[in-house]
Amino acid sequence: MWSYEKRLQFPVNIKNPNAKLAQVIISQYGGPDGEMGASMRYLSQRYATPYREVAGVLTDIGTEELAHLEMVATIVHQLTRNLSMEEIKASGFAPYYTDHTVGIWPQAAGGIPFNACEFQSKGDVITDLFEDMAAEQKARTTYDNILRLIDDPDVCEPIRFLRQREIIHFQRFGEALRITQDRLNEKNFYAFNPGFDTVADCGCNNN
Amino acid sequence: MQDYHFEENFERFPIAMAYVPWQHLSCIYDNLEEAFETGTIFPELDKPFTGRRVV
Amino acid sequence: MSNNCSEQNRMLKDISIIDFTLVELTQYLDTHPFDTQAMEYFNHYARIKNQMMQDFACRYYPLTTDTSTDRKEWNWVLSPMPWENVNDPYPLADSTPNGSCNNNSGRGGYR
Repeated sequence: MWSYEKRLQFPVNIKNPNAKLAQVIISQYGGPDGEMGASMRYLSQRYATPYREVAGVLTDIGTEELAHLEMVATIVHQLTRNLSMEEIKASGFAPYYTDHTVGIWPQAAGGIPFNACEFQSKGDVITDLFEDMAAEQKARTTYDNILRLIDDPDVCEPIRFLRQREIIHFQRFGEALRITQDRLNEKNFYAFNPGFDTVADCGCNNN
Repeated sequence: MQDYHFEENFERFPIAMAYVPWQHLSCIYDNLEEAFETGTIFPELDKPFTGRRVV
Repeated sequence: MSNNCSEQNRMLKDISIIDFTLVELTQYLDTHPFDTQAMEYFNHYARIKNQMMQDFACRYYPLTTDTSTDRKEWNWVLSPMPWENVNDPYPLADSTPNGSCNNNSGRGGYR
């Protein structure tokens, strides 16, 4: 289960509101490669993993992604909280504002609401780990793209931190995959699903 | 008891699979505050974005 | 910012730094559970963090609901939320008669 520490993992103190930036950064909250997808993906995949090290990695990284979700929400909140109506109208923020004022609601930058189609939990540990490594690279690329767009150092610093975390997570999922590979038969990693197939139980009986 | 291996003879690894090399802990950053600002305590995993190719 | 505020922020930052070190070591140990050097680092910093959490709770407010203090009021809910901005001219209200750091009583004005 989860406990909560009443602080952000990395500080966010933004001096200048910026609705345009908020519309872009909200993708890392509820978008396809964002932190909500990351945390739900890893935390959902845990149950089907047959190896404790892998379940541990998924739990601990999934938990850290929840802390990142909080940071991204804080960035969007601080960028929008004190906007004037003129700024809202001029920046293209009016559609989001109409439905949510300056509340935080998980959607992609283009408006698609967060949904479970943005991640997969395939129930096969090899497949899930490749999904996770790809997810970390997609998140890193999104942060690279955001870093090109912004020049406010108050926003750059937490975004750089979040980006670096994705690289570490990629390494950990890669190591979890090495552990998985070591436990399987290297002649054929794909002979069976170690989380599902039991020893004598293949219906089609192909050897 | 450890039942997985740290050897890295990639040429002998089976095809139709991908492999990430193991990190071996050598040291962590001395200045933990700087490490925190960077986003990692491990120097070998510190890979900043520069937006341009590094020569 | 008063001296008290900057000491409090410094302590919070130090807790964040140590906890971050523990998060890194935790994830490393998940895939290297027999690495004794990493285990030693972890144990060392975990002791430090526990002490810092207790010290912070005693001086300011608890960062987790189960960190006990000698206070008579439920500071957990009265202390600032993590997303509150130190720069905000319209901080959140709460019921405390005395303002604490980054948190003045009463709402700010209208836009």
